[in-house]
Amino acid sequence: MAISLRDWAVRFGEASDRDATIGAMARYFTCKYLWDMGAAKVIVEMVDGKVYRINTDPQPLDAYDFALRASPATWREFARPMPEPMYHGIWAASFRRDLKIEGNILVMMQNLRNFTVQFELLRKVGVPV
Amino acid sequence: MAKHSPVIGRYVTIDVDGHEYKVFYLRNGQGQPIVCQHTAGCHNHQWRGLLEDEEITRDYDVIAYDLARHGKSDPPHNREWWKEEYLLTADHYMKFIVTLCDALELKNPIFMGSSFGGNVALQLALHYPDRFRAVIPVEAAEHAPGFFLDWWRHPHANAAQVCASGVWDLMAPQSPEMDRWLTWHYYTQGAEVFKGDLYFYSVDHDLRGQLGNIDTKRCPVIMMTGTYDYLTPPEATENTARQIPGGIYIEMEDIGHFPMSENYPLFAVYLKEALRIIEDRT
Repeated sequence: MAISLRDWAVRFGEASDRDATIGAMARYFTCKYLWDMGAAKVIVEMVDGKVYRINTDPQPLDAYDFALRASPATWREFARPMPEPMYHGIWAASFRRDLKIEGNILVMMQNLRNFTVQFELLRKVGVPV
Repeated sequence: MAKHSPVIGRYVTIDVDGHEYKVFYLRNGQGQPIVCQHTAGCHNHQWRGLLEDEEITRDYDVIAYDLARHGKSDPPHNREWWKEEYLLTADHYMKFIVTLCDALELKNPIFMGSSFGGNVALQLALHYPDRFRAVIPVEAAEHAPGFFLDWWRHPHANAAQVCASGVWDLMAPQSPEMDRWLTWHYYTQGAEVFKGDLYFYSVDHDLRGQLGNIDTKRCPVIMMTGTYDYLTPPEATENTARQIPGGIYIEMEDIGHFPMSENYPLFAVYLKEALRIIEDRT
């Protein structure tokens, strides 16, 4: 059974804030992104390497810089402790599976080191779908 | 007592199409030469595991060079290279390799390269079959579109981090964390050439319809690809090998696009099998 959205947000925020790899280069890791998992959507707002806010009920006009959109099944694959090939990262899944990367991709590229590390925290935290 | 590696580094100056290149290479071993090409936007340190593998260097003379503009090999000293956009072509790339082999007076070397080094290995098998005892294209395919991207050197982003983290999930999650971060570290050092390398990889390299002309009796081709490579997935390499008469494909489990630097001990298992096949066939 999937973790509740509210519990997921707390766990993800804590995992990110105490992650040493992000902490080692946290300054200026500031951006706002949407993860669209189908049944669940979240907007994560990062400020200087810390999770400032996680919006678990995004409304149509809530703003963000960029978005990752994929089916719930794909997000569940991302969250396996050892993902199968082609589900092991955002580049892999966007080239070979149903992940779509949308919005201002420049902002994602500007924060790519830490965003990549943060995405892989799903392997420890799980997903709410 | 200081711990010294047996690997020695040297420079050799060569001329390729009028470009004067001072080429840096690392070397260790004896016997059959193996010439090793790093991946795009990287340098010869990717082969550090192979260069110090005593089981290999007992019988093989391992030479890992930095392609011009990479690592310690400068851009051409006799041209105002900063006034031209760097776009690597198949023709120039092959001439560089053959000229370097001549300069080092290598007899019948085996050529091995990964990614854009794997793709040029296929080109060498087609165009210079009598210059090499065999080629080992790693993570290669007849055609590899999709990676000639402006993001690699976009002035509004940290290009070093974009290149390094942009190739992060070309590696398998099973590979040791230290080796994946070392590979990441190498990739922070080649941002200015990565896109130009990928002009060859994704644009100029296109052997569709020509693989049947590769003569594996003159130059055996042993292709190897990791299951976590999303850029050249196993099916792309297998499809390429199938079109080469006598071509061989080895699938590498639980490894990615940089097998020699992300998990050398695992890569070595497959490499030794490839070398055994070459010994049997040549």
